[in-house]
Amino acid sequence: MCENGISDTSAAYFVIHDWRFGFSSGYKNSLPFFGEEFQFEVPRKFRYLSVYVYDRDRPNKHDRMLGKVAIKREDLQAFHNKDHWFPIRPITLDSEVQGKIHLNVNFERNRNDECIERLRVEIFEACDLTMVNGNCDPFVEICVKFTNGKQETHRTKVKKKTNCPIYNEEFIFLLQKENDKNFRINSIEDVEWSELIVTMFHEVSGNNTIFIGEIKISLLGPQQQIHAATNAWYYLQPRKKRVTLRAPVSTLSSAVVDENCIGTLRLKIQYFVDHILPSSNYAKFKELVLISPNVQPVTSSVVYLLGEIIPCKADVAHCLVRILLQHNQFVPMIRSLAVWEISKVTDANTIFRGNTLVSKLMDDAMRFVGLTYLHETLRPSIERILTERKPCEIDPSRVKDKAVIHQNLYNLKIYVEDIFKAITSSALQCPSVMCQLFHDLKEIAVLFFPDNKEIRYSVISGFIFLRFFAPAILGPKLFGLTTEQIDTQTNRTLTLISKTIQSLGNVVCAKTVSCKEEYMASMYQTFYNDTHVTAVRQFLEIISASSVPVHSASDKPVLLKEGILMKRSQNRNRFRKKQFKQRYFKLTTENLSYSKYKGKEILCQIPLSDILTIERVNYESFKKNNMLQIIQPNRILYVQASNCVEEKEWSDLLTKMCSSNDKRLAEYHSGAYIRGIWLCCKSRIENCIGCTKVTKTTVGVYTNNIDTDRELSRLHTLTFSHMDRIENVLRVCKCQAAYNNDRHLLPTSVIEDVQSVMITLTSLRNYSYNIEQEQRSVLRTIARETKYGSKHAPIGDDNYLLMAGRLESVTLRKQF
Amino acid sequence: MSLVGNEGDITRYRLVVVGDGGVGKSAITIQYFQKLFVTNYDPTIEDSYIQHAVIDNELCILDVLDTAGQEEYSAMREQYMRSGDGFLIVYSVTDTQSFTHVVDFYNQVLRKFQKTLLLFSLRESFPVLLVANKVDLLHSRKISEEKGKETANTLGVEYIETSAKEPPLNIDAAFHKIVQIIRNHPVTRGIQQRQRQQQRQRKKLRKMLHCIIS
Repeated sequence: MCENGISDTSAAYFVIHDWRFGFSSGYKNSLPFFGEEFQFEVPRKFRYLSVYVYDRDRPNKHDRMLGKVAIKREDLQAFHNKDHWFPIRPITLDSEVQGKIHLNVNFERNRNDECIERLRVEIFEACDLTMVNGNCDPFVEICVKFTNGKQETHRTKVKKKTNCPIYNEEFIFLLQKENDKNFRINSIEDVEWSELIVTMFHEVSGNNTIFIGEIKISLLGPQQQIHAATNAWYYLQPRKKRVTLRAPVSTLSSAVVDENCIGTLRLKIQYFVDHILPSSNYAKFKELVLISPNVQPVTSSVVYLLGEIIPCKADVAHCLVRILLQHNQFVPMIRSLAVWEISKVTDANTIFRGNTLVSKLMDDAMRFVGLTYLHETLRPSIERILTERKPCEIDPSRVKDKAVIHQNLYNLKIYVEDIFKAITSSALQCPSVMCQLFHDLKEIAVLFFPDNKEIRYSVISGFIFLRFFAPAILGPKLFGLTTEQIDTQTNRTLTLISKTIQSLGNVVCAKTVSCKEEYMASMYQTFYNDTHVTAVRQFLEIISASSVPVHSASDKPVLLKEGILMKRSQNRNRFRKKQFKQRYFKLTTENLSYSKYKGKEILCQIPLSDILTIERVNYESFKKNNMLQIIQPNRILYVQASNCVEEKEWSDLLTKMCSSNDKRLAEYHSGAYIRGIWLCCKSRIENCIGCTKVTKTTVGVYTNNIDTDRELSRLHTLTFSHMDRIENVLRVCKCQAAYNNDRHLLPTSVIEDVQSVMITLTSLRNYSYNIEQEQRSVLRTIARETKYGSKHAPIGDDNYLLMAGRLESVTLRKQF
Repeated sequence: MSLVGNEGDITRYRLVVVGDGGVGKSAITIQYFQKLFVTNYDPTIEDSYIQHAVIDNELCILDVLDTAGQEEYSAMREQYMRSGDGFLIVYSVTDTQSFTHVVDFYNQVLRKFQKTLLLFSLRESFPVLLVANKVDLLHSRKISEEKGKETANTLGVEYIETSAKEPPLNIDAAFHKIVQIIRNHPVTRGIQQRQRQQQRQRKKLRKMLHCIIS
C-alpha cells in the first residue's frame, strides 16, 4: 500500500474475438476468429493498450507485423465490458512513439541590451523510450524556428544502450532583435521566436538515425512564451498530427470508413481500476458480506442480493468467492444458497444445470482453488494429444474416406482412456475445499430427493465433470493448460474427448445408455462397462467423502479400496497376547472391515464415523516400518502395510474419508501405548490427550494470494456503479412494506422477507457511499498534490486534467 | 459468404439450437431426428445431426447443432454462432432464469448478422425462432404465453410453444418454421438471387462461346 493511503492497480482483461481486413483479399483467411482470452495486471501509469496483429508466414516461420489497435487509457473505461470493432492501423515510427522527456525552457532578456534575447533550453533526462530492434542509443536534437523561416539546430551527445538517458546539457539560442536601423532596411518585419522543437532520435550507425519521438512548443507571442518557460516533463509525441480514436467505434461500417486503417479487430475489453483504501474503510462492508451464510432467509443476504441485482454476475462471483474463501465462509455460503435453490427445483434431473448464482460461484471457486489440481491431472494427457495430433474424427459425414474411421476410433479410445484414468485416479489430490463443497451439496441433494438414487452422483458430476474437466479439455487454452495455437483437427479431437468424458462422468446417473449421435454409439459401448462405472463411482465418492454416510440403507456401499494388511490384535481380549496377523481389509463408503481372506465372512467392522483419525506410527513402537494407526473412540487399530506406496494410499484415502468427521481428533500419540506407557511422550495415562498435532489436510494454500481489500474495493465499485438498481429494489420494497402487496411485484429477484432485505440493502448502500466518499477525498488530495508537468503527470496528455475534472463533475448524490 | 450451402441441387440449412442448461434443447432435437423422448438427462457439449427433409415441397438438408447451455462453455459459443444460418433460442417455461437469458443469446446471434447486414445494408429481422419448451408442465409453468410473445415481439422474432415429451407438440413445426424463416429472409433471398443471376450469366456466356466455336 502506498504512503498516501491508496494503492492503485489496474487489470485489463480482454477477449480477442474477431478481426477482419476490411475487404482486402489475398489473405488465406480474411475473417479469422480467435475467441481467446487474456488477463493481466498492468502498471498504474500507462498511456495506451495496444494489440498488435501479426501475419505468420508458415514456411518461413517469420511473423510480419500487420498493424495494431491502440486504445488510450482514458478511453478504456468507455469500452469496458462491451464488444467493439476497433480500426487496425499500420505500424510506423510515429505509431510507436512512447516515453517522456524532462527539460527546462528559460527566456533571458538582457536588461542592458534590449536587442538580444536569449533562450536557454536545458535537457535533463528522458525515460521509457521506444526500443528499435531491442536497441536504443538516443540523442536529442533541439531546433528553434524563427518567424522569418530561419532555424537553428543543436544536438546532444549520444547516450549508448539506454532508454532512460540522462543528458544534463544546456543550449543557448540568441535572437537578434533587429532594432538597428541599418538592418531595418533589409527586413520588413521583426523577427520573433516561432517554435521550439525537441526531437529524439536513435542513432543506428554513423549518420543513420531513427525518429523516436518529439515535442513541439510554440513560442509565438509573449503569452505562449510565459507558458513555455517552465521546468517540466513532456510526453513525446509522433510527428504528424496525432491520430486519436474519436468516438467509440461500435459498428463495423464506421470503423471501415476510418481513413488509413487496414482492417478492423473486434475486441472485448474488461478494464478494472482498483483504488484500494486502508482495510479499516472496508470493515463494515466486509462484515456484511461475511455474515451472509447465516442470514435467514438467504434471499435477504447481501451475497444473494448482489448476485441478483448486479447484472454482471461473473464479476460479482469473482470477488465474493475470494472474500468468502479467505474467511472460510464459502462452504457455508454455498450450502445456504444451495438449500434455497434446491427447494425451488421441481425436477431432480435438472438440478444445478442452469446458470444460477450457485453454479457461477462454484465455477469460479473451482477454477480458483482447483487450477493446480486441474493442471496436474490433465496436463500430461493434453500435451500428448497436442503433440501427437492423431486424427480422431469418427463422424462418417465429416470424413472423406470411410476406411479411416476404424483407426480414428482406435486413436480416440486411447486418448479418452488416458484422460479418464488421469481423472479418476486424481481423487486424493482434489483440493479439500472442493471436497467439502461436494460433500455438502450431496448431503443437501439427498435430503431433498431421498427417493432419487442417482442424485448423489449427478449433483457432483454436474460440477466436476460438466463444469470443470469437460470445459478444460474443450478449451485448454482458457485454463492455461497450453499456450499453443490449436488447429481445427485437434480442436475437433478435443471436442470428441470432452463429450465422451462428460458422458462418462454422467454414466453413474444415467438409467439407460444415451444414444444421441449414432456414430458415438460405438464409443460409448466401449466405455459403458462395469470397470468404468465403478471407477467414476469411486472417484465421486472419494471427492465427496463423508464419515457420516448419507445414503439410505437400500443403497449398496461403494468399495473404495481393498487389500492385505498386517494387523495387530485389538484390545478386545485383554488376556490374549497381542500378535500381528494378516487380514484382508476392505474400505467402503460406509466402513472399514476385515476378514481372514478375500471373500470370507467379515470379522470386524469399523464405521467411518468411528475413525477419529489415521496417522503414522513411529518405527520405535513396534520396530516395524509402514505402520499406521486407526484411532477409534475406545481403541486403536494398528496395521502394517506391505510397502510405503500401499501405506501412503491407505493413509491418504482414510484421511480423506474421515476429514469431514466432526469428532476428528486434533492430537494423537505418534508412539504406541505399550506396557502402561506411551512411548512417544512417556505419559502413563492411557487415555490422555495426544502429544502430537494431527497432520493437516492441505487447506489454505490458495489463501495467500487473496487480497481481500482489493476484492472488497472491486465489489464496492460494482455496487456503486449499479446503485440505481439497488435504489429501485429499495423503492419497490418500501411500496410493498406499506401496502403489504403480494410479492410478485418485485422485478427480477425473488424476495421473501421484505423487511430484512430492506435492512441489508440500506446498510449496503450506506457502506458503499461511505467508501466512495473516502475514496473521492483521497483521490482529490492526490489530484491536488499532483503538479502538471511533474514526472507523474507530464505535459502533453490530458489525463491529469481529466482526473481532476472527473472528480469535480461527479458529486455524491447522497440521500438518507 | 457461405450462408446457405448448396450440395448439388439440395440446399443445406445449418441450424443452431441455443439456450440455458436443462431447458430441453437436446430433447427437442432428438425428438425431431429420432422421434423419441430422452428421459435421462445427459448434458450436451456439442452434438450435430444431419437429415434430409421435405419442407414446403422442397427437399433440403437439415444440419442441426445442439449446444451446451452452461455458461462455462460460452467461450465456444461464438465459434458455432458464426456457422449457423438459423437459430432456435430455447427456454423452459418452468425456469425463469432461462427466460431472462434469452436476450443474451439473441444479442450474440445479432452480432453474427451484423456483418452480413452491412453487406446488404438491411435492417430487418434475423432468422431466429424463440422456442418456449416444456409447455406440457402446466402446473409448474412460470412464463406465460403472453410474456413469451411479448419478448418475441420486442426482439422481432417468431414465437412457438413446444413440448418434446410424448406426445410431442410443435417439434416438427419448429424446425420447419425456422427453415421457412431462412428461406424468406431477405439476406438469404438476396444471395439466392445473386447465385441465380450468376448462373444465368454463365449459361449466356456458354451459349455465346458455343456460337463462336460453331
